[in-house]
Amino acid sequence: MPSMFTVALKEFSDVVKGRRFIVLVIVFGLLLTVAIASVYLTVMQSINIPGIAMPRGFLGRAAYTLVTMMSYFAPIIGLALGFDAMSGEKEKGTLKIVLAQPVYRDTVINGKFLAALLATSLAILVASIANIGGAAFVLGVTPTGEEVARLVLFIAFSILFAMTYYSIAVLLSTISKRTTQSMIIGVVLWAIFTFVIPIIASLVAFTARPIRIGQNIQNMTREEMQRLMEEMRSRIAITEAINSFTPNYHFSRIAQYILNIYTGIAIGSRTSAEVRSISIMEGLTSAWPNILVLVLITAIAFIASYMIFMRQEIR
Amino acid sequence: MSYAIETYNLTKIYKSEGKTVVAVDHLNLNVEKGLVFGLLGPNGAGKTTLIMMLTGLTLPTSGSGKVLGYDIVKESLQIRKKVGLLPDPFGFYDHLTAEQNLEYIAALNDVPKAERKKRVEDVLTAVGLYEVKDRKVRGFSRGMKQRLGIAQALIKDPELLIFDEPTAGLDPEGARAFREQVGRLSKEGKTIMLSTHLLFEVGPLCNYIAVINRGKLIVQGRVRELIEKMMVEEGYRIRVKATGDVQTLIANIAQLNEVSEVKREGDTILIKASRDVRSDVNKIALSLGLEISTLQVEEPTLEDLFMKYYRRDEVAEHA
Repeated sequence: MPSMFTVALKEFSDVVKGRRFIVLVIVFGLLLTVAIASVYLTVMQSINIPGIAMPRGFLGRAAYTLVTMMSYFAPIIGLALGFDAMSGEKEKGTLKIVLAQPVYRDTVINGKFLAALLATSLAILVASIANIGGAAFVLGVTPTGEEVARLVLFIAFSILFAMTYYSIAVLLSTISKRTTQSMIIGVVLWAIFTFVIPIIASLVAFTARPIRIGQNIQNMTREEMQRLMEEMRSRIAITEAINSFTPNYHFSRIAQYILNIYTGIAIGSRTSAEVRSISIMEGLTSAWPNILVLVLITAIAFIASYMIFMRQEIR
Repeated sequence: MSYAIETYNLTKIYKSEGKTVVAVDHLNLNVEKGLVFGLLGPNGAGKTTLIMMLTGLTLPTSGSGKVLGYDIVKESLQIRKKVGLLPDPFGFYDHLTAEQNLEYIAALNDVPKAERKKRVEDVLTAVGLYEVKDRKVRGFSRGMKQRLGIAQALIKDPELLIFDEPTAGLDPEGARAFREQVGRLSKEGKTIMLSTHLLFEVGPLCNYIAVINRGKLIVQGRVRELIEKMMVEEGYRIRVKATGDVQTLIANIAQLNEVSEVKREGDTILIKASRDVRSDVNKIALSLGLEISTLQVEEPTLEDLFMKYYRRDEVAEHA
């Protein structure tokens, strides 16, 4: 019996040779170049301003750009690879031809998932290495051994994040009758997770916990300052609670912990010095619930697609 | 008896948007191996659903069935190893060449890598597409895609071939090429199932038919036997051409007990009788010293057969 590797090999070859994949990687590469250039300009300008402390190390300078870019690229590549995974085959009539052969249905869906995992890994790896290499060259700072380890983990979790969106896209593709339908729903869902929910979260937090600053912060008493901090923490807690319904939030949290990006209040009661010094293991421990959520969303969406596809009538 | 296809009260009920549709209704079918079997019925009769169930692509709601001795529910993988299916509609990967498409299908059929290329080339040659094997399927005509569809069904060297609406959308030349292909495959001893509503396209190829309507089997049997039965039921139509005193010949033929009607149409005498009276007509002509140039039974066509049973079912349904 043919294994899912037969399907995966063909799918992987189709994806990486496809125009869609190549265009995405090139566009992402160009965006990274622009982003690195902007970081470079910021660094160059900041060097000449007295009193401005430069961020330390490679990650201190490049991580924010990397996370921002990846938080857009990973979902897009996941959606782009998954939105027509099943519906496209149904529409073209190729699914009937494939299923007329001695293959189980799970061979087809598992093969597609494996191919997407490989293609996503390749895209993210290429894009990340290009970005890291470019940033190291432009900024003149090479990552340390620990930073490389952090970057490797970041790439791994970026692949997980892309696969979360791939699984969602495959689910939409399995239940949709048409590819255009699954594509539109996928893009709308991405926009909701990326833009709409964070805006709603901010609005709700702002309305529920308005922060009133009656005087200049520098003139505040210690008690007033503490109260202000509490109010801000409370507002952030609301924002995070609402944002936690999106995979994007969990990815950004993982990235913050793994790459050791300063997140101030968001990270808890630690001081900025403590935050900067969290180890990889500490970061992984803190990110564990967020990693679990991404794994669960991926697994649930994939299992749902799997079960629906296994029972679907082929007509 | 060794059957290629056998079904027992096979039923499929679809539930869609609150509606229940009985696509196949307690179907009992027995098709022997080595035949060219025509599954005939109008659009929406349940032909495709039956094929989907026979190849394990759709589960029956109730009843059972076997294809080449394998259970259609429990052993569908074994069935798909030995059955080449050309579904309707179907498609290929447009961005791949004909050869690449077939290599993938061969891989899915576990054809060893060493044999794959030769097997693909053999089937492409068999369907007349070898010369265009390196062309992307995107640029293929409907007829070429259909031939590629036959090629993918042949790649596993199947015992049974199932073609669903194989000539739909083909030009006359393509349909003729398909008929020739089926003729060759039949001579190789393969069992072939042709599902169609285009009787005139593939009808002459079939030696066994089943007519279904609204998911129900109306009739099945060997074409020869069904034609004989129809002629017995509806009378033999005999065409005679003779020179000389034709009026006397007509009068004598009319005296035969089995003859219900004799009439002249131009230079031809048309006889309707309850049995084959050709030898009697020949004797009468000889006794009258007439020379007969044509003496033949007009057999009902497959279309006549189909229409007879289809109309009977329609009348029964509306009664």
